[in-house]
Amino acid sequence: MKALLIAACLAVLLVGCKKSADQPAAPGGSGAKADPGFGSGPAVSPGKMILHRGNGSEPADLDPQIVTGVPEHMILMGLFECLTDEDPKDLHPIPGVAERWDISPDLLTYTFFLRKNAKWSNGDAVTARDFFEAYKRMLEPTLAAQYAYMHHVVKNAQAYNEGKLKDFSQVGYKVIDDHTFQVTLIGPTPYFLSLVNHTSWMPVHLPTLAKHGKPYERGNKWTRPENFVGNGPFTLDQWKVNEVLTTKRNPHYWDAKTVKLDGLAFYPISSSETEERMFRANQLHVTETVPLSKIPGYRKNHAELIRIEPYLSTYFYRINTTKPPLNDKRVRKALALAIDRASITENILKAGQIPAFNITPPGTGGYTARGKFSGDLAEAKKLLTDAGFPDGKGFSPFELLYNTSESHRVIAEAIQQMWKKNLGLEAKLLNQEWKVYLDSQRQMNYQICRAGWTGDYVDPNTFLDMWLTDGGQNETGWSNKDYDRLIAEAARTGDAAARLELFQKAETILMDELPIIPIYHYTRQHLISPKLKGWQPTLLDHHPYKHLWFE
Amino acid sequence: MTASDPNVTSPSPATAIEAGHSLWQDAWARLRKNKLALASAFIVTALGLLCVAAPWVSPHAYDAQDLALGAAPPSTKHWLGTDHLGRDQFTRLLYGGRVSLMVGACATAVALTIGLLYGAISGFIGGKLDALMMRLVDILYALPFTLFVILLTVWLGRELWLLFAAIGAVEWLTMARIVRGQVASLKRMEFVEAAHALGLRKRRIILRHMIPNVLGPVIVYTTLTVPAVMLLEAFLSFLGLGVQPPMSSWGSMIKDGADRMEEYWWMLVFPAGAFSATLFCLNFLGDGLRDALDVRASKD
Repeated sequence: MKALLIAACLAVLLVGCKKSADQPAAPGGSGAKADPGFGSGPAVSPGKMILHRGNGSEPADLDPQIVTGVPEHMILMGLFECLTDEDPKDLHPIPGVAERWDISPDLLTYTFFLRKNAKWSNGDAVTARDFFEAYKRMLEPTLAAQYAYMHHVVKNAQAYNEGKLKDFSQVGYKVIDDHTFQVTLIGPTPYFLSLVNHTSWMPVHLPTLAKHGKPYERGNKWTRPENFVGNGPFTLDQWKVNEVLTTKRNPHYWDAKTVKLDGLAFYPISSSETEERMFRANQLHVTETVPLSKIPGYRKNHAELIRIEPYLSTYFYRINTTKPPLNDKRVRKALALAIDRASITENILKAGQIPAFNITPPGTGGYTARGKFSGDLAEAKKLLTDAGFPDGKGFSPFELLYNTSESHRVIAEAIQQMWKKNLGLEAKLLNQEWKVYLDSQRQMNYQICRAGWTGDYVDPNTFLDMWLTDGGQNETGWSNKDYDRLIAEAARTGDAAARLELFQKAETILMDELPIIPIYHYTRQHLISPKLKGWQPTLLDHHPYKHLWFE
Repeated sequence: MTASDPNVTSPSPATAIEAGHSLWQDAWARLRKNKLALASAFIVTALGLLCVAAPWVSPHAYDAQDLALGAAPPSTKHWLGTDHLGRDQFTRLLYGGRVSLMVGACATAVALTIGLLYGAISGFIGGKLDALMMRLVDILYALPFTLFVILLTVWLGRELWLLFAAIGAVEWLTMARIVRGQVASLKRMEFVEAAHALGLRKRRIILRHMIPNVLGPVIVYTTLTVPAVMLLEAFLSFLGLGVQPPMSSWGSMIKDGADRMEEYWWMLVFPAGAFSATLFCLNFLGDGLRDALDVRASKD
């Protein structure tokens, strides 16, 4: 009986899928069939201008000092405002909470003058003290913030973060008065004003944190909707786990009259197919991505809905370099060489991605890496033989971890087969949900895992300083003294050309040791409702929400 | 059949004349008349043999990719087309069938073993133990079984045989109840009492009189469990918890196909067709067996 019942259910399920998917014209089919409302997204009306966007995964947290992922970044951009803000067109730093700033002639001291009308969502004024407390929290060793290294450009910040310095007053943050905040750096940092609008430089309202738990430890309950206090154009409204996260206008926001949207709704949809169906059913205005199999159809028949934009981001595999046999760089290089990247970008991805033989995307802040790894299949086989595994003999099967997503799985399956065919190595695929995957990566509980890195600002440093020994985002166990020295030297170098030269040397070391296997440089694909205006293609895929509107 | 079996000796003209027919011969005779069930048995067997012989039947390897080819419609080279990674669909369908049919067989065997033992003990001993054991089954029934399997697979890991065991571990409940009910009612039947009166030992009573009478419903229920188990595996693979790539099962192939059905129909139609056909056949066969083995129903 049960069998029949289940059979009937499955039949209904399959038919159901088909039906809902067939109603709007298939993008692969004839575009003429499209019903008039297709792709317009949810209805909006004055007073209800809510932007509905797909956001990939359920956010791991909303605490700016703890989060590390892109889905979280997309939400926090609406909930907080940093000292500087981003220009909606090219992301150059523009006044945020700070209405202006002074830079000392030696480029080491930045003085920010905060606007007097900046307010938290509970009505309190945003003061220099709030920034000071937030940055102190970021550097507290007890918080163990992975992104703390973003503050290491500040004088003594690293020492305090590592517990070597106990006195925070020696760290280069200074509250001059309620509305004046000063930061002293260890070296000229050309990207500093862009750096301070990153999530790790967002302020937090410490009294709120203290009310809902221990402010300097993880697991604080202040990010729950009923407790949340932020200073961005929007504030947290509802957070239904695995369903939707919504924000509403922050009535106390200083620039509330510029904000045209009434709220944002973020849907954690890890299946791009589901997301695309929702878009077609007019449930989303913007999708997080586009399913691989649907890109050609959209490009052909609905070019007005699909946007393919350059994206400062690299897709790569992290390798846990602490355990044999992957602690042998010959093995790592063999794995890297056995991947046919052009075949992946041309046959699977098909959206203008560039095969990657290094980590920094070409042309990042005037830098194109020379230090690419190279070699052919014969060399890969030879390296593996040298390492003691001729034709992959004696190499026990290893696990390749990725976060649950169809496109990651397809790429992993292709690479799994390349390793098997080219080197005789057996990889097992393992997928984990976003939060679990982030944890596994952080605790280095993996052998090889999929990763992506999006620039936090437009400078090669954002792709290179993460590989420092014990760096919060290193997560490979890799360590190289020369590399550390070169990156540290670059941070102190004022001369632009000399600085980039140091990065060249560092990346050459990285690509020789290969604690990571670069696969491709991303492009960003979105399906966007034509109603949504103000969406500019930007390198970091940031689209400041206060500059978006509907027509 | 022995004269002590009331089912066969009841006054039916056919059996009265041909007294030498066993229960199994009768059942076979009835099943033979059921063309649908016979055809189903033939199809399932043929499909099973084809899957077992997959490496010899198909010229392609199930995991050989041709990325440049990608998803191509059926052709003379790839009879059922290729999937998004350029793998031959026909081969993957056969290998997927191996997994699906194997899950059907193995998980059912696990369920059968646990259910038969548990039910027989519970029914034969009776009393307080019976009540206790059946309440435990009730409690397990109350658990959402899909969730339970998902928890088991997460806890035990992703090995294929563990998947079989996990599914079997939740599918034995109904089996245990059926067996327990049968055993409990059988032991009060007159022919069992007669056997007791004749001085037969317990073991002989169970082997000679109980088991043949229990087996009918068990076989029927088994044929119905197989498709249920296959569906569960398909469902788990659909969620990404079943077989791991590059291995395929019908469930995982249907998932891949459903995601791309607008672009590449052949990726959905063939695995879904093979799966549905198998499920239908097994259900028809189960129905046919029930009619054939259910002695009482056939006499009404």
